[in-house]
Amino acid sequence: MTIVTGKTGARQELRPARWSLLLQKIWEHRADYAYVLPAIVVMLIVIAYPIYYTVELSFFNTPPGLQLRDKIFIGFDNYTAILTSQVFWKVTWNTLVWTLASTFISFALGFAAALALHRDFVGRGVLRAILIIPWVISAVAASYIWKWIYHSDFGIIGAVLVGLGLTDRPPNFIDSVSTVLPSLIVVNIWREFPFAMIMMMAGLQTVPDQLLRAAKVDGANAWQRFWHVTFPHLRDVSTVTILLLAVANFNSFIIPWIMTGGGPSNASHIWITHIYELAFGRQRWGVASAYSVLLFLFMMTLGYFYVRALSGNERKEANS
Amino acid sequence: MSTIAETASRSRSCRRGGVDGWRWAGRIFLVFMLLYTALPMVWMLITSIKSGFAAMQFPPQWWPDEPTLASYQKLLDPQNSVGQDFLRFFWNSLFVSTATTILSVIVAVPAAYAFSRFRFPGRNFLFFTVLLRNMFPAVIFLVPLFILMRMLGLVNTHGSLILTYLTFGLPLAIWLLKGFYDNIPVQLEQAARIDGATRFQAFILIVMPLSTPGIIATAIYSFIGAWNEYIYAYTFLSKNEQLTLPVGIQRFFSENTTDFPGLMAASFMMSVPVVVLFLVLQRYFVRALTEGAVKH
Repeated sequence: MTIVTGKTGARQELRPARWSLLLQKIWEHRADYAYVLPAIVVMLIVIAYPIYYTVELSFFNTPPGLQLRDKIFIGFDNYTAILTSQVFWKVTWNTLVWTLASTFISFALGFAAALALHRDFVGRGVLRAILIIPWVISAVAASYIWKWIYHSDFGIIGAVLVGLGLTDRPPNFIDSVSTVLPSLIVVNIWREFPFAMIMMMAGLQTVPDQLLRAAKVDGANAWQRFWHVTFPHLRDVSTVTILLLAVANFNSFIIPWIMTGGGPSNASHIWITHIYELAFGRQRWGVASAYSVLLFLFMMTLGYFYVRALSGNERKEANS
Repeated sequence: MSTIAETASRSRSCRRGGVDGWRWAGRIFLVFMLLYTALPMVWMLITSIKSGFAAMQFPPQWWPDEPTLASYQKLLDPQNSVGQDFLRFFWNSLFVSTATTILSVIVAVPAAYAFSRFRFPGRNFLFFTVLLRNMFPAVIFLVPLFILMRMLGLVNTHGSLILTYLTFGLPLAIWLLKGFYDNIPVQLEQAARIDGATRFQAFILIVMPLSTPGIIATAIYSFIGAWNEYIYAYTFLSKNEQLTLPVGIQRFFSENTTDFPGLMAASFMMSVPVVVLFLVLQRYFVRALTEGAVKH
């Protein structure tokens, strides 16, 4: 986005000449567009149209059956309803905790695992494969596996804790307000750290060996070599990985939805599950759409940084 | 932190037995991660070979007294209704995922190639618009897409899912493949053009074979994404005979809330195809990430 606005800014000064030049350029490149066209058409149908529609619905009160002809214009009422409700702040807080904790712990574990797996040893390939599996299996399957592990009567963690004499009876991990969110975050990290690991493993392969050896010859210790050689090389990959993780976590739905449905008493509702419940559970389409628009604005802000991180790579690529 | 630095010390010379602290920290960390990753899956497998009665005991049977494959037999038996449903869900998932994968490759390959090679106006803008799709959660699109699918008459068809899944996979697919094409020297194509090939022939005969790892990685990514997708399938499909596995399993479980062995067996079988696919092809995936996305 930044790039584009930058260009239009320059373009405005020389408008007449530039416009015809632009049209001419577009015409000259008309065959090139054919390659991108299928992708763009699909994107337009499935993205642009829905975004337009969501914004429109957010200003209306639409009947539960989604009879679009009967919708009533109510201005910003849906938005004020959201911002004055208690649930909104609760859910926002949950979303923040969920996103930040999941993102940074997943990244730290994944990065550490990538570093530990970087050196060759017997069984490295097998170990790496096992560590990746949680990322590959369905989140629905993962949710059920962990739901069973956390089960309040027959769950294995509860049984182990009782067996070790730490508690008298198995704790209620996902049925209690205070433990439900951390318990779900553990599941989410279980599924997500492998992604960070793969990205960082790929990144580590680009760190030149000679530099590390040179640093060693110059007497840098392990930590210094990491901090001054390895880490700077991984800065771009790390940024992209953290952003992708943050976006994925902010958008997660399946784990809280299947494991708790947002309960008990909203303790594990995050934005997405809440929107889903408002729309398809309580059929309050207007409020749900207004929530989506707010979310959309927030994501655009994050998207700005995402694009900046990616276009950072682009620019370097252009220079190299 | 310990492990981070431990591998920074990975240069070849320190491999001669001098086991330092970082290295031990790394090993302990890996053991911890192995347990964290594998124990839940092991417990899934152990539960899936228990009888319903054996699963519901406290303290649990760490290894079932009488291991049984009854849950698997029930799910895979086309004679009874549970087996019929499960097998149907399985085929539905397979059909939707395969169709999505094929279409993704067909759409992503030319787009990525154009973004890499051509310098047409609006290229950056379009490229980032495509990438931005990743930023938005499924839920934002759910209501309007539901209305759209109703208009197109696609509700309760697999077409609605395939069309939607196509757009999940595309951004990453295009991004990965573009990285690949960036790394293939233009001179190779130019040489082919000089020898009389058309641009299209040069693309099919020279560029496509060189980017096979990227295409395989893209295909795996699309397949896994489609296979595991839940929200859209949950919203767009209501007829039992069309459900895909994640939704089907959820529905099954909401009717049989205590059949944990059955549920674990179903979860296991749902995971097998994607895990096998990924393990067989993972080197392409890591390579594609390294060459496509990360290396500059």
